[in-house]
Amino acid sequence: MTHSSGADPCAVSLPVICQSRLNEKKFGQSMRLQKYILLRTIQVVLVVFVVIALNFVLIHLAPGDIGSILAGETADPEYLATVRSSYGLDRPLGEQLLRYFGRILTGDLGQSYRSHAPVLDVILPRIPATLLLVGTSLVISVAVGTLIGSLIAQKPGSWLDTTVSTLSVALFSIPVFWLGLMLILVFAVMNRWLPSSGMTTPGGVREGWPAVLDVARHLVLPAISLSAIWIGQYIRIAKTAVSEALSENYITTARAIGFPERDIVLRDALSNALLPIVTVFGLQLGLVLTGAVLTETVFSWPGLGRLIYEAILTRDTPVIIGAFILMSLTVGIASLATDLLYAVLDPRIAL
Amino acid sequence: MSRSVAIAKAVIGQPVTLVSATIVAVVSILAFAVPYLGLVDPEAMNALPSQPPGAAYWMGTDNFGRDILARIIWGARVALIVAIGSSALSTILGIVVGSVSGYYGGWVDSVLGRVFDIFLLIPTFFLVLLIVNLFGSNLGLTMFAIAITTWPRSARIMRAQVLSLKSRTYVQASLAAGASSWQALVSHVIPNGIAPLITDGAILMGLAILTEAGLSFLGLGDQNSVSWGRMIYEGQAYLRSAPWISIFPGVSLLILVSALNLLGDALNRALNPQIRARQRVARRRPPINASPEPAPVADDVILRVDDLVLTYYVGGREVRAVDGLSFALRRGESLGIVGESGCGKSSLGSALLQILPPNAVLSAGRIRIDGRDVVVDGRAVVERGQPRFQALRWTRVAIIFQSAMNALNPVFTVGDQLVRAYRLHRPKDGREKARQRATEVFEMIGIAPNRLGAYPHQLSGGMRQRAMIALSLMLEPKLLVADEPTTALDVLIQDQILGEIDALRQRLNLTLILISHDMGAVAETCERIAVMYAGKIVELASTAAIFERPSHPYTRALIAASPTLTKPRTALAVISGEAFHAGDVQSGCRFAPRCPMSQDICREKSPELLPVAGNQFAACHFASAVVEQPAGEMA
Repeated sequence: MTHSSGADPCAVSLPVICQSRLNEKKFGQSMRLQKYILLRTIQVVLVVFVVIALNFVLIHLAPGDIGSILAGETADPEYLATVRSSYGLDRPLGEQLLRYFGRILTGDLGQSYRSHAPVLDVILPRIPATLLLVGTSLVISVAVGTLIGSLIAQKPGSWLDTTVSTLSVALFSIPVFWLGLMLILVFAVMNRWLPSSGMTTPGGVREGWPAVLDVARHLVLPAISLSAIWIGQYIRIAKTAVSEALSENYITTARAIGFPERDIVLRDALSNALLPIVTVFGLQLGLVLTGAVLTETVFSWPGLGRLIYEAILTRDTPVIIGAFILMSLTVGIASLATDLLYAVLDPRIAL
Repeated sequence: MSRSVAIAKAVIGQPVTLVSATIVAVVSILAFAVPYLGLVDPEAMNALPSQPPGAAYWMGTDNFGRDILARIIWGARVALIVAIGSSALSTILGIVVGSVSGYYGGWVDSVLGRVFDIFLLIPTFFLVLLIVNLFGSNLGLTMFAIAITTWPRSARIMRAQVLSLKSRTYVQASLAAGASSWQALVSHVIPNGIAPLITDGAILMGLAILTEAGLSFLGLGDQNSVSWGRMIYEGQAYLRSAPWISIFPGVSLLILVSALNLLGDALNRALNPQIRARQRVARRRPPINASPEPAPVADDVILRVDDLVLTYYVGGREVRAVDGLSFALRRGESLGIVGESGCGKSSLGSALLQILPPNAVLSAGRIRIDGRDVVVDGRAVVERGQPRFQALRWTRVAIIFQSAMNALNPVFTVGDQLVRAYRLHRPKDGREKARQRATEVFEMIGIAPNRLGAYPHQLSGGMRQRAMIALSLMLEPKLLVADEPTTALDVLIQDQILGEIDALRQRLNLTLILISHDMGAVAETCERIAVMYAGKIVELASTAAIFERPSHPYTRALIAASPTLTKPRTALAVISGEAFHAGDVQSGCRFAPRCPMSQDICREKSPELLPVAGNQFAACHFASAVVEQPAGEMA
């Protein structure tokens, strides 16, 4: 699952892993949807708990003094003492864990020892930039990938299919950060067409359409790097899903009626293939965020990923932990949202 | 054994896969041989810094004056160590947990299942980041961190394998023979279930390499080893002045990871025959231009089929599902086509509607509708750039499929599907008129028009079948092909639907072809019956003649095998022998091996469809003898 640029389990072996997910969905149809959503919500909460617990365990297992991991190696003794008492580091482990849960659930993710600001205050301002980058890339990759995948699904085994499928594998085998560097090399260094870093031009206009345009120009290269990889993924997923749908009987009906092949693929088959595509989409969000961290690092995009990179450089552990927890929550909620979307898309699942 | 042959074929058979396998092999050999290659020390800074690629240094030198080529080759070693180490760890962990989960089932399985689900939702790269950040970076730890985030993937695959294998007979047998559960697991299930894991291993290796590269790029790589990711990390500062420092390691990553992914993919295809089967496509026969022909005579014949041959391409073999079939149909007539499954009756239906599956072609024969050729020599007749049949679709010829088999699109309402069909052929009529027609047809078929807003799954089986019939009637076709329209419905509904089809036929003056395996259904609805066996019509006669004096032994057998409600209950006959497999090569009559009356001539000479009496035709050397026997008795 972990992966710098995201070869997704489902894309490569849809029949094995995602099929089991899809079967669960089918099971979900017979089960009451409310119950299913409730179970999934509990699951997301569990995920967050497991992540918090993992953090706790890792901090305790890590070499070195826990106090200085949390407060920073160069912290002054006074601050170190505050951290020790507020985390209850002198208490029994069980109590420490409970305190830890309690703190995090109340939104207290500790303090960044670089800026001494609360971690949440450090993280939250970074979210919009990441959302913009991830959102744009997802839209591009789903739209382009699905379209190409659907079109090649019509001619399985043709040279076009072989070529595009091979290229799509190559696309998601590219390390995303390297692709970013190469794009910078071509479009910002060799040709000065596009800016290579940041989200805005320093000292540039800050409002109105020129500002939007400025951000859009900065967004081009990072969004292309991040979406290129996912386009590869969605080509494959869409191809598998659409070619599966194309073997269904309602497609034969549509052909008998005389619909043009393009309508059949893009309307009849794709409307059914959207369901597995959405499923995979929900499963992949964590990987997209991974790609975002690396992309933001390359392009100095001022989002969460860049923040994590900075935190790694300064060994700012509380920020890394905070970002990890927040990312887990985001991925959980997003997967829940995709389940709801699934119910909307598939009339067989009644809300 | 056949499996490994299939895998070998998959690897060698496709150029892309062959290239990938070669790349992986070469990189592996390089990685293991690198200490003995006598390469420059990858850390030696004995050249001028940042030299572009040239004769002395093929890939140039980096900012410290180190040979990039040497570093790339050493980097391959690191990449492979990480790849093999993490995927082996992950797979072993997955095998253990997955087998436990699948084998014990029950609460163990459901608890572990939840654990897998949770792990799938954790953004694991951040977990790896944290681990490496807290514990320091070295290759061993990196591999471990990658493995603990990928193992649920292997475990899920293993679990699925164990679940499917555990029900197999040989495992059951060894359990019954007294083997302990664990013995059975270790000796049968694991060796047999491991194939998909190995396939997945190639993909896991790609994942691991990219993860390591990502970590290195964030400065969390092992400081003491030359990894491609770290080379890019170090090279990015010199992107402007010495881009080759970052270009070559990236290209290496791309090539190796692509090769691993493509290889994993090919192995996956080799192990999943369903995926492979879909790949085969028959070569389309070129259309034929319409030749000048006399204006259609207003004769009585709506459909004429001559010597139609439909060939399937299955696994390199050619199978004739329809083999030289001829018949003609008068306007308003109803013809039933019966036979066992696999006799080619449904293939005939798809040939008539020109909706052949991708692996089938019409290889010969002629189809005329309303006196005009639509297929000549198995090729579609094209007029002004468009297949002639296209203009007849749904407006002249429509088909009713078995709706239980998803013949209606599950994600659109029934009304939408009706309206869409109407508007395709009458685009000028507007949405309102289409709606009206849909309402009209729904009323005609006996469904309340407010059900137009329902999705197919919201209708009962009978209703759904009626909706399918309604769809076929939207554009007032003259020729209707009904392909098993009532199979999978209960008997009462079957009767109702058949009754409705019959009533509609008379009311709308439709010509009907009813394809069914059910003699009774056909008898109720059709005036004439064609009995098909192994791609050929073996008997063609009026329904009365077929039932009163069948002239082909197979027809007799079919009648004897169908239940009747009107006559005293007797044991149903079973047709002995195995049904003919399309593709079997056999001379003489294809029914001969199962025929109680077969003689030497039957095995030597194929009988032709010849008149027996009046309008009754049969393809049997002894038709005139068979017809003399009292009905219901077999020689």
